[in-house]
Formats: sequence, structure tokens, C-alpha cells
Amino acid sequence: MLDGAGPSPARRILSGVWTPLALAVIAAAAVVTAWATHSALRNRAVVLRQLLAAGVVEALLVGQVAEAAVRSLRGDLPTDPATFWGYLATSLLVLPAAAAWAFAERTRWSSVVLAAAAVTVGVLEFRMLVVWAGG
Amino acid sequence: MSPERSTASGPGRVLVLVYAVLAVAATARSAVQISRDLAAAPLAYLLSGFAALVYHAATLALARGTGRWRVLAWCAVGIEAAGVLAVGALSVARPELFAEATVWSRFGAGYGYVPLVLPFLGLGWLARTRPTAPGVPQ
Repeated sequence: MLDGAGPSPARRILSGVWTPLALAVIAAAAVVTAWATHSALRNRAVVLRQLLAAGVVEALLVGQVAEAAVRSLRGDLPTDPATFWGYLATSLLVLPAAAAWAFAERTRWSSVVLAAAAVTVGVLEFRMLVVWAGG
Repeated sequence: MSPERSTASGPGRVLVLVYAVLAVAATARSAVQISRDLAAAPLAYLLSGFAALVYHAATLALARGTGRWRVLAWCAVGIEAAGVLAVGALSVARPELFAEATVWSRFGAGYGYVPLVLPFLGLGWLARTRPTAPGVPQ
């Protein structure tokens, strides 16, 4: 980002989008984690409103796919594109899997699964931030 | 506890989810490593690939969770437990063998020690859900 050529205005704006979106994903995933953990501790199964909250996280992740694709097409590539896209693809799969299980397992364990899935999304998101920056 | 309780029920679902994530993560990472530069660290990269296969086997076996799948689960989770301990110890004692990290290097520190804890949770869960009484061979 701090290369001598200087980024174009459009690119600078897109560079600014990335981190807030990633932080939004992490914050939303943290909310889902806390909510699902609360349910698990009170011996409750996942309810529909929690799946809607997980859907918000998923929507943010889809937004991230679009944002990362646009940036890549503009030539602003992550340091390790294969790893970055691997993490992003994995993060998209985790919450739907947990949601499918929430329907199959109507016990507190569906809440634990959702909490674990949301934690996973948060960790993957953090890794994506690191990988894009070259870590 | 029912006589034929699947390893994929109750808390087992959490286990299967975490295994699935590790399987996908390890596969993606080793595929990138092996296809890009296998020559740089052949032992580490082939080990990553092997670990990924074991995680897939464990995920599938725990998700099925009854009958013969349980045997496969014991084998896969057992290999993992041995693998993370052996590779972890070796990577600390002889770091030059592992120029690049694997899932099991330094006892899975790169993955928050999840690879170290997971196989023992898996073995404990297999023991708890086994159809016969503890101590009786299946």
C-alpha cells in the first residue's frame, strides 16, 4: 500500500473498505458466538432468530467475496492469493453447515455447534486480514 | 445411553464440525504447498498432505459414527494423536527437518493447539459413546 507509485483514488477507497468490513464480520461473529453460548449454557437449542443473525454474518462474508474480487481484478492482490481465497471459501461454508445441523439436532448441542462455527469464522477472518497483509 | 449411539450426536456434532474445518484448512494449505514448491521442504509438505487425509477420514468416520465407521474413527483419531505428539516433539528437537510449518509442527501451535487437543477429545468421545460397557472388547 505504501509503494512509491501512489494508489489511485478509487483504489485508496477500496483499500479503506477492506479492514472495516473484516472488523464488521469479526464483531458480528462475536455477537453470534455470545448469543449461541448463552443458549447452550441455558440448555436451549438454536432458534430461528439466531440463524438470521448467522445469515447477517454470511451476508457480510459474501460482501467480502465481492470486495476481494473487485480488488483482485484491479491488481491489488493479497500477498498469498491461494491461501486467502482458501480461508474465504472455508469461512463461507462453516455457518451453513452449523445451520443445517441446528435443524437436525434439537438439543443444546446445536447451540454449541453454532458458537463453535461463529468462533471459526472470526478466527478465519483474522487470518484473512493477516494473510492479505503478508503474514 | 442407547446401545448404538452415533458419534455424530450431541457434543459429537461439535467435534465433527471442528474436524471438518481442520480437514478443509489442512487440505487447502498442503495443496498450495505441494503444488507450489514441494522441493523446498518435502518432509513437511508431504506430512501436511498426509495429515489432511487423516483429518478427512476422521471427519467422515465421526460423522457416520456407528459400526465399522467407529473402527475407522479410532484409527484416524489415534494416528492423529500419535502424529501430533511425534511431529511436535521432532519439530522442537530437530527444527531443520521442518523448514516450513505443518499442521502438527510445534504441537499445532500455528492452529491454536487445536490439533493437539482435538485427537484426545476424539478418543475420549469414542470411548464414551462405545456400544459395549467400558473394558469389554467390541
